[in-house]
Amino acid sequence: MAAEFVTTIKTNEIPVGGVTAIDVRGTRIAVANVGGKYYAFDDACTHEQCSLAEQGELAGTTLTCTCHGSEFDVRTGKVLAPPATVPVKAYRTRVEGDALQIEV
Amino acid sequence: MAHRHVILGASLAGATAAITLREEGADGDVILIGAEPQPPYERPPLSKAYLRGEVPFDKALVRPAAFYAEHGIQTMFGTRATRIDPSARVVELEDHRRVSFDALLIATGGRNRTVSIPGVDLDGIYSLRTVQDADRIRAEMIAGRRAVVVGMGFIGSEVAASLRQKGLEVVAIDPSKTPLFRVLGEGVGQTIAKLHRDHGVRMIFEDTVAAFEGTRRVGCVVTKAGLRLECDFAVVGIGIEPAVEALADSGIHVDNGVVVDEYCQTNVRGIYAAGDVANHYHPVFDRRIRVEHWQNAIKQGAAAARNMLGRRIAYDEIHWFWSDQYDANLQYAGFHTQWEQLVVRGRLESASYLACYVNAGRIDAAVGLNRAKELRRIMPLIKARRPVNLERLRDESVDLRSLHEIS
Repeated sequence: MAAEFVTTIKTNEIPVGGVTAIDVRGTRIAVANVGGKYYAFDDACTHEQCSLAEQGELAGTTLTCTCHGSEFDVRTGKVLAPPATVPVKAYRTRVEGDALQIEV
Repeated sequence: MAHRHVILGASLAGATAAITLREEGADGDVILIGAEPQPPYERPPLSKAYLRGEVPFDKALVRPAAFYAEHGIQTMFGTRATRIDPSARVVELEDHRRVSFDALLIATGGRNRTVSIPGVDLDGIYSLRTVQDADRIRAEMIAGRRAVVVGMGFIGSEVAASLRQKGLEVVAIDPSKTPLFRVLGEGVGQTIAKLHRDHGVRMIFEDTVAAFEGTRRVGCVVTKAGLRLECDFAVVGIGIEPAVEALADSGIHVDNGVVVDEYCQTNVRGIYAAGDVANHYHPVFDRRIRVEHWQNAIKQGAAAARNMLGRRIAYDEIHWFWSDQYDANLQYAGFHTQWEQLVVRGRLESASYLACYVNAGRIDAAVGLNRAKELRRIMPLIKARRPVNLERLRDESVDLRSLHEIS
């Protein structure tokens, strides 16, 4: 099935500097609000599956999974620091009115 | 002039140093020599997910096996170094080969402490350091079998948890009053005891092993107090000692490991040490510390590499580690040996707390049970070495990040 943008939650439900997890068509996706820009990625840390929305600490565009210290770039999902070695899958987002849409 | 960098120990610290040397533009040779036969790997899974058979060994590799050759790192695995000659700038290997160096990193790690207890050479008694050790224990891990875990430090505690998770019966014995007593103290240790008790581990404290009994194979552990613990096998986790044999008569200063300054350098110019083996001067705590944890292996390995390249960067990381047991996430940051006050956010009796080891109003260290975020937020406070407002520290409604402002 081709990827398409799916309307999820309202953007004002994600505080600036915060990370919120939502279910999008059966996939748990975390969304980070970096100064009004929204970045979406799989919620499960690729190291030991901690929830990045619950355990993640966001500083700028770097998200630290505080369970074991892995760091990811929320813009791309790329690993910035171990123990994780595998990137988290990132999703494209867009804002339609007051709603956040995620491409899945 | 091309420089020859030799690293003894294909450990996490050694491999990270080799990788860092290449990433940061080292010219000349980078040679990684290790006693173990396989490429460098991370040890944390050996007592947890790997021991339980949940992840393959490949997941524990620091880099894929092909990485080293692809990045111009020469490797000599399965090769032990026997002697270092600092004046000739040569390392001797057990097969009598000689490897010359301009800069040398000692990252030989440690080996398991052994005890001379009657019966300790019987079959079915294991310790855990290498992947081969983990494989031997794994082969014994059949649900319903009975294991005795000797020593409830971090390795013993994690092994006990993994054994229970695989459905084995576990009895654990430790000379202290609680698990992790030496590092964390009685109050926190009791919470770990409760965790294991709640998961069905029978624990025996303030008692030690007098003998292992059995014909050929261990069948019973006898304690000094006279208990007889029937078992199918035993795992002994009583700590490591630094692997420094190759340094004998080298003139390199050894005292509880290889003594290095904040630049990871020994008393011999151009010879460095990192990881479990390195007793390093820590500028934040103004004393020497030897640390046997994952983060230090990575961070100090990288720091040593940068100093081998002449960068002169002090290694001042706040030490940090985690220990997952069952579903609990235990983390520690900082350094302490004693404390005037234990300031607790939350309650030690609960499944989630942050306990801070405080001296002279400063937080020297903190341990968190299921408090990963707060543990991370407190690390800058530990590093700052400034008194904090202990009432606010204790108050769970206060965001720890707000304590960073001078109080």
